[in-house]
Amino acid sequence: MKSLSEQNHYEILEVPRASDAAEIKRAYQLSMATYADEALAGYSIFEDGDAEMIRERVETAYRVLSDDDTRRAYDESLQAWWSDESGAISTVAPSAGEVEVPEARSLQQPVETLEDLGDVDEEEGEFDGARLRRTRVRLGIEIDDVGRATKVNPVYLRFIEEERFEDLPARVYVRGFVTAYASCLGLDSRRAVESYMRRFDSSGPEPQRRFSKGG
Amino acid sequence: MSAKLGGTTSLPGAGPPRAAAVRSSPRLIPVGGGKGGVGKTFLVTNLATCLARMGYRVVAVDGDLEGANLHTCVGIQQPRVSLADYVAHREEDIAKLLLDTPIRNLRIIAATRGNLATPQPGHGRRVQLMRDLQRLDADIVLLDLGAGTHPAVMDYFMVGEEGIVVIAPEPTSVENAYSFIRAAFYRRLRLAMASHDVRRVITMAMDERNERGIRTPLDLMKEIQALDSAEGRRFVDTMRAFRPRLLINEVRSADDVKLGFSIRSVCRRYFGIEAEYLGYVNHDDRVRRSVRDRRPLVDLDPSCDAAVYIGRMARKLAARTQAPPSDRGGARR
Repeated sequence: MKSLSEQNHYEILEVPRASDAAEIKRAYQLSMATYADEALAGYSIFEDGDAEMIRERVETAYRVLSDDDTRRAYDESLQAWWSDESGAISTVAPSAGEVEVPEARSLQQPVETLEDLGDVDEEEGEFDGARLRRTRVRLGIEIDDVGRATKVNPVYLRFIEEERFEDLPARVYVRGFVTAYASCLGLDSRRAVESYMRRFDSSGPEPQRRFSKGG
Repeated sequence: MSAKLGGTTSLPGAGPPRAAAVRSSPRLIPVGGGKGGVGKTFLVTNLATCLARMGYRVVAVDGDLEGANLHTCVGIQQPRVSLADYVAHREEDIAKLLLDTPIRNLRIIAATRGNLATPQPGHGRRVQLMRDLQRLDADIVLLDLGAGTHPAVMDYFMVGEEGIVVIAPEPTSVENAYSFIRAAFYRRLRLAMASHDVRRVITMAMDERNERGIRTPLDLMKEIQALDSAEGRRFVDTMRAFRPRLLINEVRSADDVKLGFSIRSVCRRYFGIEAEYLGYVNHDDRVRRSVRDRRPLVDLDPSCDAAVYIGRMARKLAARTQAPPSDRGGARR
């Protein structure tokens, strides 16, 4: 186990070395939220100046890793350091012998487990409103963020999640909304929209809905 | 990894588990969290139900002698026998405490009901209890712990290295969860260390306002490494082996979901402990209804979000259970 000052930028951000820019950004935001002065996760643990010191280190790490050029230079310097020091990336790793540099992932759970939390069996089955909501919550996205990204009124997004079909506008709009929503969550939007619209169609009494189902 | 703490099911200090018969012992999963009212019993009931549905033979044990109510959650009104009988030596055979529930494959061991005079079992009896639980004829034993960080609770929590810590997204619960993790960790450490001097330093460090300024296990580790290098290595091993699992209950927002990651980060940074974020369950009014109806939520309303999240965690737990449900006839639904 290393103290803060001994950790490299990846360890500070708690990401594996192979992380892409999006993962690094997410890790950075999570760290800043975790170590905010009044943060729920830490205020009872932090002592004066602790959180601020960690935030400074996180900021520095992010500054270096979020820029391709500085990151490359930094990676090279780490590489050089690794070839000097026989191996250990981090004491959290199982043992020096098992660690292959530089591609090895340390034992630390990478930040991407945000997805891991809910993977099981969401691969199949219907895309109903609840599933869209679950996916959204799992990714840590508020409904207003989806609204901003998709330009769909959050009120309708909410109705989509709650499957309040009678409150939603005409079918063609709903189709568009669901497509935008699903792709914003990184889902297979075609599959999602087909599945969702089947539910939509089978619920509505209006003839044009059944008609547009098309067989 | 130190031999003493190597087994995931042996209680440190309890000596090596007796050479078991052919049947492998059940996997013990303690569920604690420090604070009362965060949903431990609800979660144990529902996780146990899910695992039972998957074909595992599950026993849920109500370890909360002071606020026992697990039996109510599965629809048992007046348990005819309970852990209190075992604690009071009225019943020595733990298998006789097992009660059937309306859920196939799920049995429970109730705690006492309405007996304020029931004492907490002493350390020896607790060790005996944990050994006996390991001899139960079952695949998985879930242990619902009481609130607080009483040594009894901590002993039960240590039967598995991957006990679950239930946290609600509110300051009091988060604070208690840290105290709980810290207490569990220090107790585990003290039992793992051989040297008298080192144990004394740990005892001192358990008081948060100790004069040597040891605030975190990291400080403590440096102190111990300076004192005795062999013990320092044992310390690091113990630290690595301890992997509490975090479960955030009553989640209402995306921020609440992220809390699990934040707590994991703080555990790593301040305690050097690699916690695992097992998952979360959203706030749902149907939870209250299921308790009122005395039926597990996953039974009452299996498609609601909370039930889906619980099912997911059950599958995650099951994925790591070595003995898969055997094809014993009729065990599966």
